[in-house]
Amino acid sequence: MNRRRWLLKMMFQALAHRSGRTTLLLAVLAMASSLATALWIVSLSMERRIAEEVRKYGANLVVVPEAARLDVGSGGLNFGSIAEPSYLAQAEVERALTTSGIKAERSLHLRGALRLKNADLPAEGVDFAEIRRLFPWWQVRGAWPAAGEAVLGVDLAARLKLKPGDRIEVSGSTGPLALRVSGTVSTGGEEDGLLFLALPELQQALALGGELSQVRLMVTASGDSLKGAAQALQRQLPKAKVNEVRQTAHTSEGLLAKVKLLMLLVTGVVLISAGSSVTGTMSTTVLERSKEIGLMKAIGGTRLEVLLIFCAEAALLGCAGGIAGYLLGSGIAHFITRTVFAASAEFIPWMAGVSLAVSLFWALLGSVGPMVSVFKLDPVRSLRGE
Amino acid sequence: MSQTTIKTSGLTRSYGDICALKPIDLSVPEGEWLSVMGHSGSGKSTLMNLVGGLDRPSAGSLHVGGQDLSSLSEDGLARFRREYVGIIFQQHHLVPYLSALENVMLSQYFHSVPDEAEARHALERVGLGHRLQNRPGELSGGEQQRVCIARAIINSPKLLLGDEPTGNLDHKSTLMVMELLKELRAEERFTVVMVTHNEEVAAWGDRTIYLADGVLVREERTRP
Amino acid sequence: MTALKLVPHLVAFFGMATVALRGATRRGMLAGAALAGFLGGAGLAATLTGSVPGEFTYSLLRALLALPFLLLCAVSFAALYLSVGGKLPLARLERVAGWPLTRTLGLLVASAGAGAVAGTRLGGALPLWGWGALAAAAACLALAALLLESRLPATLTTSRAGFIALTVALLLFSASWSTRLDLFAPLTMKVMKFTHDFVHQFFESMLIPDHLFIHSYLWGYIGLLFGKEVGFWGGLVIWFTPVVMVLLAIRLERLPSVGHLRQGAQRRRMLAEAIRARRLRLVLPGIAVLLLAYAVYRSLYPSVEYWDPKPVPVTANAGGEIFLPRKGEIDLMDGKLHKFLYQQGGKTARFFVLLAPSGKLTVDLDACAICKPDGYGQAEGTVLCYYCKTLIPLETVGKPGGCNPVPVEFTEKDDGIHLNGVTLINTWSGTVQSTTRTMEKGK
Repeated sequence: MNRRRWLLKMMFQALAHRSGRTTLLLAVLAMASSLATALWIVSLSMERRIAEEVRKYGANLVVVPEAARLDVGSGGLNFGSIAEPSYLAQAEVERALTTSGIKAERSLHLRGALRLKNADLPAEGVDFAEIRRLFPWWQVRGAWPAAGEAVLGVDLAARLKLKPGDRIEVSGSTGPLALRVSGTVSTGGEEDGLLFLALPELQQALALGGELSQVRLMVTASGDSLKGAAQALQRQLPKAKVNEVRQTAHTSEGLLAKVKLLMLLVTGVVLISAGSSVTGTMSTTVLERSKEIGLMKAIGGTRLEVLLIFCAEAALLGCAGGIAGYLLGSGIAHFITRTVFAASAEFIPWMAGVSLAVSLFWALLGSVGPMVSVFKLDPVRSLRGE
Repeated sequence: MSQTTIKTSGLTRSYGDICALKPIDLSVPEGEWLSVMGHSGSGKSTLMNLVGGLDRPSAGSLHVGGQDLSSLSEDGLARFRREYVGIIFQQHHLVPYLSALENVMLSQYFHSVPDEAEARHALERVGLGHRLQNRPGELSGGEQQRVCIARAIINSPKLLLGDEPTGNLDHKSTLMVMELLKELRAEERFTVVMVTHNEEVAAWGDRTIYLADGVLVREERTRP
Repeated sequence: MTALKLVPHLVAFFGMATVALRGATRRGMLAGAALAGFLGGAGLAATLTGSVPGEFTYSLLRALLALPFLLLCAVSFAALYLSVGGKLPLARLERVAGWPLTRTLGLLVASAGAGAVAGTRLGGALPLWGWGALAAAAACLALAALLLESRLPATLTTSRAGFIALTVALLLFSASWSTRLDLFAPLTMKVMKFTHDFVHQFFESMLIPDHLFIHSYLWGYIGLLFGKEVGFWGGLVIWFTPVVMVLLAIRLERLPSVGHLRQGAQRRRMLAEAIRARRLRLVLPGIAVLLLAYAVYRSLYPSVEYWDPKPVPVTANAGGEIFLPRKGEIDLMDGKLHKFLYQQGGKTARFFVLLAPSGKLTVDLDACAICKPDGYGQAEGTVLCYYCKTLIPLETVGKPGGCNPVPVEFTEKDDGIHLNGVTLINTWSGTVQSTTRTMEKGK
């Protein structure tokens, strides 16, 4: 028979002989590796999800002009504050973006009112190419506009009884402007009540050449670096205000950090106790089996050969614990993500490697002490039962 | 039988201040059956361990099978044991979770490669062909000792050591075991060193030496 | 710096010498042959690169390096065939291979190969004392090999196939440190070209029209055959097959017959020793596998820094003509690659201008007719196609064909280069469209 096969068979029999202790060791190793796996899977899948969410949300920085505030009312009679409409200089914003070196997708907006048949029509000038990149959730019925065309928010279109293909005549401060409605847009937000046209056209119509009322930026960054980007931009634009837009992302990031910390602590405790428990169990096993070890040495096993048998046993346990830990850990991860984050965890096959490594590492580390005694054991004394 | 299997001169073994074996000169020719008698603590087990390469002498020279055992490293001694020595223990020392067959194969494993057919044949030779798959716990004392003998002879040792092999056996089993050993020796022609405190068992040998307090006190030839 | 560059080649030399000394009789002669081979090879290659400019030395050396690989292929086939019980009429060859002279010659040639690789990297500019130092270092290593070999345990024996495998692996490992001698990249290129041509021919000869019978998802699979993955994996298979076969041959070697031994213990002892010896014979080809893997890694991620300037946007004048001054902001005559970007009507073309070693300027697209237009980078004496990692010697840049950059028509005047924007855009669209079409058909 093959030496290796024989060794494996003998190890299985030895492990089965002490089934209680084997089960205990397996459970400990599986638990340790499963927790490490679960922690890793949860944080990985949540990080990915949050990054996705941030992307989906679109812009995460908004630059608005610092409005000259004017408080209205006095004493107990407070009517709030009104602001003079103020604008950002387009050239200045573009310069700031290049000098600050921030890598960001941007979208420039100018908000203003046009008149349509003696009624105010809220309008926004945008670059439609930028919109399509930054706000992928815009649902446009009809076509995206070309020059001289506009899209209407669905609510506004319903109110004005307009449909794609219709022509409207609006007037700004510089005179009338003929537009063709190329489509309607619905986002479920305030966009549904606005008229969108190309930025230069609105700037011209309102006689606000080179002025902007809002710049939206999508910085591909998370956490601190976003804050850093906001600050860098703020320094470049002293007259504007740079705000972070990250309500959804922020809360889940905070929660994730807390869960991560908690799991890290639990995993640490479990790993340490697992290590000591492996050491304890292995020590007792070796103590119990000292006669067997002595015999192996007496019938001609060298120290290394005998050590190999016991190390292989520990490694076998470690592998089994690692595989069990991976399965268990994936389960735990799914449970946590479902209950805490109401999301589903990803299936990450390579985590099996991590789980296996953790389990093997602890199985072998925990056995170092006992293995030293296996190595040193004197056959004569152990056979005599000393 | 001109060659000597064991040759010692001034062989001494002391544990700290206690001298377990006072300088002893001994020569065992190849093929001889030597019985070592003495009370417990007389140093007979120490002598056996030294000869079997399980222990190292404190002083003196010890040559077994032409090898100077005191010059061998720990692993060298282990290799010497698996090549040259077979040991039968009083307590059998069988591995509890392995079957009789596998216990014999364990010895093959350390020697070279396990060979199931050969191990089965060895067990059949000691009369255990029907109990191959039984664990030691399911075997009687005499049967366990026979497994132990099969394990000791499986690697064709030149030297068979017995540490009170019949100490735990009743009279009938003792006779059976001794008879078996005699048969095997006739076939395999190994040298036997057997430690015992039983006169009757010692009488199976060619020569008996008596130890007391680590000193060789008497030598008696039972057969020419 | 130069000394550091030589380390891998000296290591290869040392390894060859050590392996060849194992189990040999005339050790002094062997070590001397290794030393002579290494120094001779280095000297020859250095002189050759110095006196014959261009690609000649490199292509010659590559061909010479490929020969031992072919030899290894043959040996490994034979070894595997023999170890699974086949019979080959090789008795005479065996006898020749057994001569000490054969081994000496083999070592001489192998170390000459390692030396030649080192020599090309040294070039002709090494002063005499540098050669002295190299000779001294090689001599020290030869002595060290003698010493190390005598210290290795006697149980570590070699099989002939394993010995050849390791020697060839050391040669290829040595070659992989020079991007121009590396064999793995040309191998992948050849495999890629072969599959490409084969599939092409196949479809041509079957006269299957593009879309009528073949669904687009099927085209997706056929498209896989044109990717560089085919070249990579195919190259990998060819690269490792001989060594793996050597490993298999050793692993499948018959154990000695033990039936004649009466005693079981003796039988087992003999078997155990044979198994142990067999396992130890696996060591050499095992190391060879590691070396070859490292050579692949070096080939994929060479530590050469490529000169790859950012394309400079250029515009055409009213007549549609692009003008690049000979010595403007960018000095076209400095022998470096200069990339430009030309946009017209929503179409973009990337091209570069390079002073060829012949002293003439050449204008080419930053793309070839075969690969995806990933562009080129410039290394010492060559430009490299980023997609398929093929090295194109500077001498052949400007000539069409293969993975060479596609040349663009231009007129060279005293003040600089004039080329037609429309022609440029058309050339680019024609080339790139055809490559992306074949590359990503059906996606």
